[in-house]
Amino acid sequence: MNEFLKKLAEILEVGEVKETDELKAFPQWDSLAVLSVIAMLDGNHGVNLRAADFGPINSAADLWNLVQSKKRV
Amino acid sequence: MNFTFRNKRISGTLVVVPANERAFVEEMKNYNFPEARSLKLKEVMGYDRRRLVEPGVCVSDMAVFGLQNLFDRGLLKPDDIDALLLITQSPDYFMPATSSIIQGRLGLKQDMICLDINQACAGFVLGLIQSFMFLEQESVRKVVLINADVLSRKTSPKDRNIYPLVGDAATITVIERDAEDSVIHATVKMDGTRNDALMIPAGGFRLPSSAETAILEDVGDNNLRAKDHLRMDGSAIFNFVQTEIPPLIQGLLDRVGVPMESIDYFLCHQPNRFMLQKLADKMKVPHSKMQNNVVERFGNSSGSTIPTAIALNLADKLTHGQIYACLAGFGGGLTWSAMLMRLGGWKFCEIIDYPNQAK
Repeated sequence: MNEFLKKLAEILEVGEVKETDELKAFPQWDSLAVLSVIAMLDGNHGVNLRAADFGPINSAADLWNLVQSKKRV
Repeated sequence: MNFTFRNKRISGTLVVVPANERAFVEEMKNYNFPEARSLKLKEVMGYDRRRLVEPGVCVSDMAVFGLQNLFDRGLLKPDDIDALLLITQSPDYFMPATSSIIQGRLGLKQDMICLDINQACAGFVLGLIQSFMFLEQESVRKVVLINADVLSRKTSPKDRNIYPLVGDAATITVIERDAEDSVIHATVKMDGTRNDALMIPAGGFRLPSSAETAILEDVGDNNLRAKDHLRMDGSAIFNFVQTEIPPLIQGLLDRVGVPMESIDYFLCHQPNRFMLQKLADKMKVPHSKMQNNVVERFGNSSGSTIPTAIALNLADKLTHGQIYACLAGFGGGLTWSAMLMRLGGWKFCEIIDYPNQAK
């Protein structure tokens, strides 16, 4: 989870991202950030999300849980 | 679907690009995004400059210019062309076929076959497959394969998703019999259920163009495009490439019994630098073996990008030597394809400008 949060912070160009942080509230959260996250999830976690999957996601923890659920499939 | 061909080879490729060059940094102000984020996009995706046709320029214009260039330099004889195959999704007219327009403009012989094939980014590999099939006939000794599009004319300048990356080009590839014993292996897969990932919704018969289809609309991603414009689901395409291309290529290599290390170059369609870097990483292929510099110089010109990648990076190697290559074309349809073949001993391999017509 820590590695995951660190990578999110890199993509969002901030010092730190906490589990409870709302992703859409970050100023750098746009379609480029979404694509970078999708690429990170593919490369580091073997999970393929689409831009539409991010609709119901609010916090970093929500995203983490979604990724984990896709892995279990 | 698997294909095997014997004794066929490519003998040269000529890439024609519009002289008109546009830069990402000039067009940034048209997008609904802060400049800093647009510059970040440029850096991450690998955008810079590309070539766009001037208003009114069509596929047959660039194709005729390129073929005339080859005729003038004695690199191709008009009468030697037995089959003219044009791969395009931006024809001069719905009717007649643009390959017939080209044949007529150049006064080629009547005893030949001309075909248009509607294919996108997998178009070079699919075009090669069709060309090899033509050469199975005794009467066909030389095939000219043209990949050409003017798709920039179908993109919205306010769509940051697609406008910065589309480029125009026409490529002319000559294919003939190989005196040496050679084998080419290829594989193709199709999935029409994902047809809307890369689409121009209006202008055909399903939804004819009208005043309504020309209206710019925001589908929720802060970009403006009309139904008449080309649209791309970026994340769907990214996932498609990462999921389907590595197993397609590995499957081909396994079937033929060739280890990945023996491939000199992976000549892939060029969607953009970012996607090719991620693909290379996924396949554990060094970036030096998978060229990714076409989009930042010329833009993504659909089926033309593979010949452009070759002419831009490997001209010397192919005119003076030989390489063992794995080609991979993938995109609209959805279609994905790969081909294993030796390339070399080419008569010509270069990029020329289609001059600006406006004075």
